[in-house]
Amino acid sequence: MVLAAAGWMTVVILVLIMIMLFVEGLPILAVTNPFSFLFTSQWYPVSDPPVFGILSLIIGSLMITATALVIAIPLGIGAAAFLAEIAPPPVREAIKPVIELLSGIPSIVLGFIGFLLLAPAIQRIFNLDSGLNGLTAGILLAFMCLPTIVSISEDALSAVPREYKEASLALGATRWQTIYRVLIPAARPGIVASVMLGMGRAIGETMTVLMVSGGRLAIPSFITDPMSAMTGRIAIEINNAVFGGLQYQALFAIGIVLFLITFAINLVADLVLEKQRRRYA
Amino acid sequence: MSIVNLTMTENRTVPVVFEENVAVKMRSQAVSLFYDKVEALKEVTLPILANRITAIIGPSGCGKSSYLRLFNRMNDLIWNAKVKGQVYLDEEALYDPKIDVVELRKRVGMVFQKPNPFPMSVFDNVAYGPRLHGAKEMGGLSEIVERCLRQAALWEEVKDKLKGSAFALSGGQQQRLCIARVLAVGPEVILLDEPCSALDPASTMRIEDLMQELKVNYTLAIVTHNMQQAGRASDYTAYLLMGELIEFGPTKSLFTYPRDKRTEDYLTGRWG
Amino acid sequence: MRKSRILGAVALLLSVSLLLAACGTPASTSPTTPSPTASSTSPSQEGGTIVVKGSDTMVNLASAWAEDYITGHPNVKITVSGGGSGIGIAALLNKTTDICNNSRPLKQEEVDKAKAGGIDPVSTIVAKDGVAVVVHPSNPISELSLEQLAAIFGGKITNWKELGGSDTEIVVLSRDNNSGTHLFFKEHVIQVKDKKAEYGPKVQFLPTSQSIADEVARNPKAIGYYGLGYLSNQQKAVAVKSATGPAVLPSLATVLDNSYPVSRPLFCTTNGQPKGAMQDYLAWILSPKGQEIVRSLDFVPVQ
Ligand SMILES: Nc1ncnc2c1ncn2[C@@H]1O[C@H](COP(=O)(O)OP(=O)(O)OP(=O)(O)O)[C@@H](O)[C@H]1O
Ligand SMILES: [Mg+2]
Repeated sequence: MVLAAAGWMTVVILVLIMIMLFVEGLPILAVTNPFSFLFTSQWYPVSDPPVFGILSLIIGSLMITATALVIAIPLGIGAAAFLAEIAPPPVREAIKPVIELLSGIPSIVLGFIGFLLLAPAIQRIFNLDSGLNGLTAGILLAFMCLPTIVSISEDALSAVPREYKEASLALGATRWQTIYRVLIPAARPGIVASVMLGMGRAIGETMTVLMVSGGRLAIPSFITDPMSAMTGRIAIEINNAVFGGLQYQALFAIGIVLFLITFAINLVADLVLEKQRRRYA
Repeated sequence: MSIVNLTMTENRTVPVVFEENVAVKMRSQAVSLFYDKVEALKEVTLPILANRITAIIGPSGCGKSSYLRLFNRMNDLIWNAKVKGQVYLDEEALYDPKIDVVELRKRVGMVFQKPNPFPMSVFDNVAYGPRLHGAKEMGGLSEIVERCLRQAALWEEVKDKLKGSAFALSGGQQQRLCIARVLAVGPEVILLDEPCSALDPASTMRIEDLMQELKVNYTLAIVTHNMQQAGRASDYTAYLLMGELIEFGPTKSLFTYPRDKRTEDYLTGRWG
Repeated sequence: MRKSRILGAVALLLSVSLLLAACGTPASTSPTTPSPTASSTSPSQEGGTIVVKGSDTMVNLASAWAEDYITGHPNVKITVSGGGSGIGIAALLNKTTDICNNSRPLKQEEVDKAKAGGIDPVSTIVAKDGVAVVVHPSNPISELSLEQLAAIFGGKITNWKELGGSDTEIVVLSRDNNSGTHLFFKEHVIQVKDKKAEYGPKVQFLPTSQSIADEVARNPKAIGYYGLGYLSNQQKAVAVKSATGPAVLPSLATVLDNSYPVSRPLFCTTNGQPKGAMQDYLAWILSPKGQEIVRSLDFVPVQ
């Protein structure tokens, strides 16, 4: 009963947020057609006349997020599998709180660490002009979502019935074979949820991206190029944008794009899982 | 028949009777097993004869499962378990550091108390082991699956549902599927830990019949709570009490003429 | 599991909306109750409301002044809003503001219009804006002309070789467009010749002056700019040459005497000599306390 009410509340809030996004953001289409807004990359919001093209931001966001996921998913699931299946219980009990503690590190602190330590290292390793780039941002974001992915995936893996693991090992599977052929598939819904939540946290961690992604407003060709993400743009410009003005509307329109992309990703993940569930329910 | 007195400890011997012309497939030699400081098995020495069914009986918590899991080293998974003594498969020491546990488990399969098919299709369950060990989809995988399902007396019931979820089968069918899954790896020994305790009588009978068929080609060891089952389905029986082997012998003679008072008490229900 | 995915979606959405929620605060900040028209209560008496309007560059400075001042003067209300120097001057002319913040002097036509309307604009320099251009200490370049800077930041020159340095890419660092310095640098340097010029596509916009200072300190290919307050011996300030004068290094002294080209005075303009509360307020702005706030916001104090 309470859960149902909470569920409906969530839906209502979501719808209200959506409506607000659209009401504030859509009017920008009066000055910029959707095509040039989405598919050009000139972003001069405070010039006269202003120019709003967000292609470089979309590509930047996708590149940074993809990098973060490529790093965080295998690392996070690997660590979760290690904790759930390989580490002896005393080790697990010691490490789990540390991981949960890590997730409490404020993003600004990680941002500083990234700026001061990671960026110069990346610049040296890859011999780049600047260490502030998409790769650095992606790595930092991966670290931001790792604790979430590890702790929720670990819960999901631990919840897989012990019998599956024993059956697999008794059939002569190695531990890792057992983990990736039986345990991970059985824990997949939980693991996907952990990735979505981790990504949710990472995407929200605008400050970190702002500080290390390099802030270039041109379409990046490599992940090691300086770039900007949509969230970072919104965060940095919204305080300065005139309430209801063109820049303000354009920033809300970026919010709409972000919302639609996120929604699409969620939808796809949902459909994939649903298919999976149908097969073996 | 010959009677051998096996020495358990310096001042204690257990009479053991078995056929002369039959090979010993596996044996434990003075094996003790500790969970932390708790001694769950106390210097157990026992043969498992080839192509026979050996039943291990005893009251709850006496160490039956612990004992069975010695033979495929499943106790390794319990991080606080320690083993003393030695276990042999074809006179090869299993607790030797050189032993490849993965190879051992291919030779010694295990069926668990609760049917535990994987959350996959019937076909994928049986194919799991062969795929692990390198069988290719093209290279006769479906022949292996069919043969094992037939051996497990399940083929006729599932041949149209191979792509369906294993969870759609009945409990008895699931347990036979687990047996088929073990057979597909090509083991020499099959360990069964109370395989029928979750099944109805009809399904239990089918598994018992199946065991009789399997013993022609395999060596079987079964843990059971059910004394009727041990009496019906096994050739040899070992009686464990509080981690100690009390008596071992041909099932018929052990059930009709127990040599140890404690065995007799247990069999007649006077135990405890 | 389904629940957690819905949760995930909520988390994502919330983070987006939280970002946007910040837009509740418009560009102009008002430390006290906003009032659209000026002088409804007479600011010439002790107490009352002072309306301040004008330059975006000065909005943060003016808000900081107001916030600090009213804590010591609880009976004074000050409302601050931005919009640009032009808007501030227009407001002064139609008497909707008491103080106009302008980062450029009044144009002659604006003075004429004021006189015609019976208004006597009196401008006081309350701070100066000086922007240092910095490179890595190992960079052989030690002076650049405004035109060269315009070419670098406009994306026309991309290699240090073209300026007599080593054959490496120029990593161009700028403040982001939420900063007044961003606009000032664009108007005074990048658009020195071409009023339509913009920051080049390869420019990297960093969120704070400190991050520019840090990156320049460690990256030999970098060039950046920021307020004089951030200068240290970890970066090398470049002497800047205007079309007419010699190359001048940035310092408080060269900004004050107007010899450093990338600088400008910032004014508060009133109608006639300020009196009463306004006089007290402007005097306080020029006092050590007010000028300390100037320094803390990276402008150059005038005293
Ligand atoms: N992981 C463990 N840690 C500590 N003690 C254990 C562990 N597993 C089993 N034991 C103990 O070892 C003894 C033997 O257990 P085991 O499971 O082998 O008995 P069993 O004869 O199979 O019992 P049941 O008939 O209930 O299955 C019991 O006292 C049990 O409590
Ligand atoms: Mg047991």
